[in-house]
Amino acid sequence: MSQVNSVLLYPKGGKPSIIANEWLVWNADEGELSKLDQKQKVLVPFSWWLANGQVHGQADTKNLDSELAKNIAAKSIGVWFAPDDDILKHAAVIEAGKSIWSLVGADFPIFRDGRSFSTAALLRERFAWTGEIRAIGDVLIDQLILGARSGFDSFALRADQNTDVALKQFDLFTVTTQNSWRDRRSQLDSQISSQPNRAA
Amino acid sequence: MYKYDQIDQTLVNERVVQFQDQVARRMNGSLPEEEFRPLRLQNGLYHQRHAYMLRVAIPYGLLSAEQLRTLAHIADKYDRGYGHFTTRQNIQFNWIKLEESPAILADLAKVQMHAIQTSGNCIRNITSDAFAGVAADEYVDPRPVCELLRQWSTLHPEFAFLPRKFKFAVTGAKEDRTILLCHDVGIALKKNAQGQLLASIYAGGGMGRTPILGSLIKENLPWNVLPSYLTALLRVYNRFGRRDNIYKARIKILVKALGPEEFARQVEGEWATIKDGDDNFQQSEWDRVANHFTKPAYTNSKPLSTQELINSAPENEQAAFARWLERNVKSHQVPGYASVIFSLKPHGSVAPGDATTEQMLAIADLADQYSFGELRVTHEQNLVLADIEQAKLLELWHKAKAQNVVLPNIGLLTDIIACPGGDFCSLANAKSLPIAKAIQERFDDLDYLHDLGEISLNISGCINSCGHHHVGNIGVLGVDKDGEEWYQITLGGEQGNHASIGKVIGPSFGAEQIPDVMADIIDTFVKHRTGDEPFIETYRRLGVTPFKEAAYHNRSKESAAAGAAV
Repeated sequence: MSQVNSVLLYPKGGKPSIIANEWLVWNADEGELSKLDQKQKVLVPFSWWLANGQVHGQADTKNLDSELAKNIAAKSIGVWFAPDDDILKHAAVIEAGKSIWSLVGADFPIFRDGRSFSTAALLRERFAWTGEIRAIGDVLIDQLILGARSGFDSFALRADQNTDVALKQFDLFTVTTQNSWRDRRSQLDSQISSQPNRAA
Repeated sequence: MYKYDQIDQTLVNERVVQFQDQVARRMNGSLPEEEFRPLRLQNGLYHQRHAYMLRVAIPYGLLSAEQLRTLAHIADKYDRGYGHFTTRQNIQFNWIKLEESPAILADLAKVQMHAIQTSGNCIRNITSDAFAGVAADEYVDPRPVCELLRQWSTLHPEFAFLPRKFKFAVTGAKEDRTILLCHDVGIALKKNAQGQLLASIYAGGGMGRTPILGSLIKENLPWNVLPSYLTALLRVYNRFGRRDNIYKARIKILVKALGPEEFARQVEGEWATIKDGDDNFQQSEWDRVANHFTKPAYTNSKPLSTQELINSAPENEQAAFARWLERNVKSHQVPGYASVIFSLKPHGSVAPGDATTEQMLAIADLADQYSFGELRVTHEQNLVLADIEQAKLLELWHKAKAQNVVLPNIGLLTDIIACPGGDFCSLANAKSLPIAKAIQERFDDLDYLHDLGEISLNISGCINSCGHHHVGNIGVLGVDKDGEEWYQITLGGEQGNHASIGKVIGPSFGAEQIPDVMADIIDTFVKHRTGDEPFIETYRRLGVTPFKEAAYHNRSKESAAAGAAV
């Protein structure tokens, strides 16, 4: 179970900022969900959701008996994807999740593991996910530009990362040579603004 | 050749600033080495045995005279007066200080060069045919596609932390000069009867510990959809390539495990959802880039026969000039022109692929004077002046002689491909340069070398195979056994359209045995050769047995036994 104090929020078309973090990342093997404060916003593992949450998630949110259903009703639940979750195999669950999860996360077990960049890209491209996607785990300053362009719009930076340096990352590049979730390649923009990275 | 526009230049300048900041954070301690390492590698900076090594990209092997002068100055100012051209159309500087690396990158950016993605688990420098645009056997000039893909892959956000490195090669000629099938992705370009530019995609090739030739997974792909198709391919690899074992992380292992058909099916499935997206290249982008690869202003030069050329030389030079014409001069698309290969493989004096500051400056001048100010770097680690008027060949030969780059050994036994090996590289198990030197010294008779004909000899100091030993007719691989350096011999490898992976002949040898073993292998070839048969054909006809017997005959049992476990 982990919760960093603050997260870097960088909405598409907006400006990056540091905000207080309200979300707890719950690992299914660390105590019971029901022991948590009901108001606690929590990200549960997607694999756990597949095993435990689907019935509520898809059909049974009115049954307020379970703790999970209360979280769902309060919009205080989301899932986080491990790098080896094959999200394309669970399209129906993710489609249903759009109306349940107010946040999804994708995990970096180690900063060198780039699978979650593809997870974020697929969530945006394939599932047209418009809500927030948060990078969690071993999230370092030098992954921010990559993540922001792949599809992430918030980052639970590892606690030792300097947030001032982190916020400056998004100013580094004013041009790009391939399309991404956030921006079109500069070559195609007939009028190149000085900061196309942040063009809406 | 391609010239940066404002966007390209801005990107490279901003990359320098980004790296400056990363180095500063490393130096002030806020970025630990373990986390800095992948960042510096993605900018070509390795930590070697003695110092940092910087690998600079020469995209698809194309270099201007001005760029070569900058490389010469970098060698002079920041290194020890030389650079090493690699087997992937890069140049490496071996004696770099970390704190000076951002300044070097700034110097490079001024001449539209960079070190972006020359290492790391990302899409590496894209390689191509060193004779692109001039080769007589070309279907289509691959350079516009190379440049478009260079831009597309530069700082690609989704594919910066792949399971392992990822190498593209692109060819557009009848004869493959890129080792296409030994790349993670090989792109073969052709035009169909309607004149449409189409690509065939080969995936899952590679050398290293598990050498595999790539499989054809897609045919007749229109050039403009390459970005979406390659995104689909890389996405499948990024998601499902192995990350639990560095030796099984290359795409070749995934393609092999799934089977090429299933891999192709998965890529196709992913591609179906993005194939019509705006990732794809637009005609306007092609036009802008292709416009840089128009033909230079060739003069209407009278084609000369080889005999006419030879006759133009003074009588006492004719034999040597003829030999150079035969080995180091290649045919050209345009009558009256030829391409010249400068050999960076002098016998026994420098490492294969090394060039000094003085040589680079002089060669840059020759490029300006004789070849429209451009050069190419071959994956065999030589330099090419691609557009020489035949009538000027003699003059050029005379001038290039002064730089010691006219040895007529291209394609011969001493045109050795070799990695820097254990003298520099911290990955190496064994030295490769002294082996190359010993072989070049042993076979220092040009008449004999010419009689032997085409033989490729490739040396790698470790199984990472930077010296491409798997595809050498004769391959030498350095191996470590209990801290000692041993060398394994493979035979039967080949690059080109008949690419094949060599087979290990048996237990490895000590360094001092290698020249004798080579001599035994070559003697066996000479003994069994019919007519002018090339080595590889004799080998294919006879199989490994006679070569193996010769290599191990009379060798002490101790050495064979000592090497047996390796």
